[in-house]
Amino acid sequence: MSDPQADIENKLAALREAYGPRFAAAETEQQLRDENAKILGKKGELTAILKEMGKVPGEARKAIGEKTNALKQEVEKAFEVALAALHQAAREADLKGRPFDLTLPGRTPVGPGHKHPISMVREELIGIFRTLGFGVHDGREVELEENNFTKLGFPPDHPATDMQDSFWTTSGHLLRTHTSNIQVRAMMGHKPPMAFIAPGAVYRRDDDATHSPMFHQLEAFLIDEGVSMAHLRGVLRAFAERFFGPGTPVRLRPSYFPFVEPGAEVDFGCTFCKQPDGTRAGCTICKQTGWIEVLGCGMIHPVVFESCGIDPEKYTGFALGMGLDRLAMLRYDIPHLRLMFENDPRFLAQF
Amino acid sequence: MKASYRWLRSLVPQLTAPPEELAQRLTGAGLEVEAIHRYGVGAAACLVAKVVSTRPHPTKSGLKLVTVDRGAAATQELVCGAPNVPEPGGLVVLAPLGAYLPAKNMTIEKRAIAGVESEGMLCSEAELGLSDDGDGILVLPPGTASAGAPFVAAVPEAEDYIFDINLTPNRPDCLGHVGIAREIAALYSYPWAPPTPKVATLSGTTIESLGVGVRIDETSRCPHYGAAAAEGVQVKASPLWLRYRLASLGVRPISNIVDITNLVMLEFGHPMHAFDLDRLERGAPGSALISVRVAKEGETLVTLDGVERTLAADDLVIADGQKAIALAGVMGGKGSEIHDGTTRIVFECAYFEPRTVRRTARRHALHTDASHRFERGVDPSDIEAVLASAAAWTAKLAHAQIAAGTLHVQGNVRFPKTIRLRAPRLRALLGVDVPWTEALDILVRLGNKLVTSTAATAELEPPPHRPDLTREVDLIEEVLRVRGIDNVPEILPAIHPTPDSGGDEVFRERVRAAAVTAGLSEAIVLGMTSPAALAKVKAEAPTVFLKNPLAEHQGAMRTSLLPGLLESVSQARRREQPDARLFAMGPVFIASAEGLPTEPLVLTAVLSGTASFRAYLSKAEPVDVWDAKGAAETLLFALTGQKPTLERGELPPQVHPRGGAWLQVGGKRVGYMGPLHPDVVDAFDLGAHPVMIVSLDLEALRIIGRAAPKFQAIPKFPANARDISLVVKDVVPAGDVQDALKNAAGPLAEDVELFDRFTGGSTPKDHVNLAFRVRYRAADRTLTDAEVDAFHEKARAAVELRFGAQLRT
Repeated sequence: MSDPQADIENKLAALREAYGPRFAAAETEQQLRDENAKILGKKGELTAILKEMGKVPGEARKAIGEKTNALKQEVEKAFEVALAALHQAAREADLKGRPFDLTLPGRTPVGPGHKHPISMVREELIGIFRTLGFGVHDGREVELEENNFTKLGFPPDHPATDMQDSFWTTSGHLLRTHTSNIQVRAMMGHKPPMAFIAPGAVYRRDDDATHSPMFHQLEAFLIDEGVSMAHLRGVLRAFAERFFGPGTPVRLRPSYFPFVEPGAEVDFGCTFCKQPDGTRAGCTICKQTGWIEVLGCGMIHPVVFESCGIDPEKYTGFALGMGLDRLAMLRYDIPHLRLMFENDPRFLAQF
Repeated sequence: MKASYRWLRSLVPQLTAPPEELAQRLTGAGLEVEAIHRYGVGAAACLVAKVVSTRPHPTKSGLKLVTVDRGAAATQELVCGAPNVPEPGGLVVLAPLGAYLPAKNMTIEKRAIAGVESEGMLCSEAELGLSDDGDGILVLPPGTASAGAPFVAAVPEAEDYIFDINLTPNRPDCLGHVGIAREIAALYSYPWAPPTPKVATLSGTTIESLGVGVRIDETSRCPHYGAAAAEGVQVKASPLWLRYRLASLGVRPISNIVDITNLVMLEFGHPMHAFDLDRLERGAPGSALISVRVAKEGETLVTLDGVERTLAADDLVIADGQKAIALAGVMGGKGSEIHDGTTRIVFECAYFEPRTVRRTARRHALHTDASHRFERGVDPSDIEAVLASAAAWTAKLAHAQIAAGTLHVQGNVRFPKTIRLRAPRLRALLGVDVPWTEALDILVRLGNKLVTSTAATAELEPPPHRPDLTREVDLIEEVLRVRGIDNVPEILPAIHPTPDSGGDEVFRERVRAAAVTAGLSEAIVLGMTSPAALAKVKAEAPTVFLKNPLAEHQGAMRTSLLPGLLESVSQARRREQPDARLFAMGPVFIASAEGLPTEPLVLTAVLSGTASFRAYLSKAEPVDVWDAKGAAETLLFALTGQKPTLERGELPPQVHPRGGAWLQVGGKRVGYMGPLHPDVVDAFDLGAHPVMIVSLDLEALRIIGRAAPKFQAIPKFPANARDISLVVKDVVPAGDVQDALKNAAGPLAEDVELFDRFTGGSTPKDHVNLAFRVRYRAADRTLTDAEVDAFHEKARAAVELRFGAQLRT
């Protein structure tokens, strides 16, 4: 009759010698896993040893139990190492393998893709303003405080800046909070007369169901001698007719933006509940008012001209700005802002 | 700002416009009324009733049967479960049969409660929609009204229309009812006189004899501090009308003194504060009890909200002889708060410089009704009236004796300067003729003083409550606002066509169109990302960091569009959309040594899932590197008019070294393409389906521009094609064979096309079968078969020699 304790000890010692070479011999992941299962699996060798533990008398059992567990952990660790090494070897073999034959012809896509609805609205608006005589001015997204706020007449430490909570960079610049920075850039770089539009991404510190920290605007401004509020209204009318359709009502409400005066917000007749006779029935989109708020505008504030070196006695001008995301939502009946930034293929394929 | 229609009507007695109409007029003048809420709708249908007797409910112990007198000698018995039914003679509010209580969406009907018929209900404030108090029924003070009187006749403030006005930050004057009333009077041309409160009850003492003195250390930050005092104050709950007025405007009633400070703030738009005089500590003999000073660095103050705040040396505080007792213009201190036992009080009404208050409010993240108003600029001229109003209410509602006199310590309060308005400028800016007298009349109605005027110019002094009026254009806006913008005509200007500045947009539109042609859909990728996400795609480390990101994963500006695109692919897969062909176009951000970062424009595309190409009724194949090549070629041909060449030098780390390649146009690198590097695949857990990427340097492509197509003569003579099928070692690139064929076939071989490629079958191991079609053509004649055979045989021999190719037969 053999001593169960010595028997187990012998088996453990044998296994300790064997597992290393056995793992090393495995050439594929499957072989390694099979080998591992032979040792640690339900019917594995180490598992079998554990089952024999009951034969060992009480005091010795604890010591041998610890030894067995220690070996088990050793094997488990060795398996992980061996597996990682196999993966690493496979990855290296893959990376160093024979290159694909890139001289074979490229496969041409069959169907066209889709522009993003924000881009579609952007291109449509640019088309409208170009026919009115406006040119496009380039923009940039990281901006000087001076161009985004100071030269536009935002007083420092003033609640007006609460309307536009900004992202600042560690170098003291900011992500532009509106495309109005282009007014400053255009006035610093060009002599009047000028009529520019500036589309692009803007950033504000808002992130919830109805706000994205990055969104899109389009700015339009005209500076010349003799530009008046009547001209602003004329351009708004032309815009309404071409974008929303002939006969769309336009309503201006006085409002406040530091860089225009007089300033106004502009509502257009709701396009969703328009009746055949041209009246509006009221709907959820316009909150039963028949009007949808679309843009802000006004006569360029003399302080902006002064800070950009243009004589406000000689030149006047108007500026207007609108949110492209909102216009795209209105144009294409998109119910949630979030949809615009998720890039779901099923969403993009609709436009 | 919430405004009470009832209150406004009492301030402008001539006002007859119903709420909707008034809202439209205000909105039209720039005070945008966003909504009109009705307050106490249920109250209108209710009556005052007097309790006659009470007896227990026959079966239910928690209920009582209450007999009430509902006027005209009529009594009725109701079931009531409230714990606070008053003794006989007490006044309660009865909702009779048919009354609708919107707060509970309940119409009173005849019903049996535990077997006893009840025709009506005694109401709590919550049931009437007046407050949140639903613990017991509303018990009216004795003498409120006689039984049977309509409840709202007894307490008119229980029913109102409340306007939600979205005030722009330039109109602090309308943060109180007096200011809105003044605006309404101007809009409707009604006469206007501000309220002039009179203090009725004076005690024998003066404010000085109560030991109240004020010293201002910071006169530029607090140019005016006014104080009033009262003794014999009885602190208790406010009368119902005041509680309902405050509740209807969103302010919680607390006690008569606190309510009075809020009432007066809502009236004048000027915040004030009440201190318990007996809780103020004196300093050195002869020093003022109250001082206005900056905080000592590290000084602490427990504010009314119970938070202990460590003050900064820039914070302006109100202090007693020992310590700070209030954050000036922001919030009072807990230690000097009015409490039930308060008997002597000091009222503060001051003008704090707006930027001071704003800095402190922001520093402590405390946006209060007071700081909101001071930040925007309160009326520096109404301090006396505000103190008088508070004193008058205190005498009346707290039965207090008001100390004679108010105390004013003043520095240099800046009042507005006169502004010159020119009639021609008015016309030029608005584009409409406004009669000069009408313009001046509007401005005077708004409180401006006409100092001098001629037929073409006028000097006006704006009122102190309008800090926003400083220039001529401000007055012009006022005229426009009050007259209505609709009076300005619509004239389309003749704009001298302006050329683009920069030309970026035209290029972007071309890129977008090219990408769509290449079968890609446009994604929008956020400008901010994280260094970790950029590291995951092995992109350059970011150099532009945000100081105040919304989240850690948006802490840096992108150097690559890839993280955003791969996130989109990953999200699409989670939504069971494995097929994605996306592109994004936009700037990446690279810090420069001086000035603003550069923002070069890039395009990155991702192809994942199955290929867009699918033969008729065939199975979809996973996307591979030749799909990426096709997309890159399509894009680059649309942008440059040239076919790119692929170069496999040291590759960018984003692509798999076996399948990646640089894209070159005219010998210049303009981008790269290839399968996504497996490390990146792992980092985004995208291993389930292949992912290919194409990235283009749009700045380089913008410079290269698009070559205009040049006409090539259309051939007059027919082509003669020969096919050739070759078995070559599979390490030989097919393109090399193709090029060799073309070269060897001579100048008349106009085109060589690979039309089939296969392995297996009879093809030897490590070999591949390539089938080409070579098209021969001469520009000046029809080639004979014999000629073509000769060319073709030469070509075959050449490739056989070079590649060991065997002709497959």
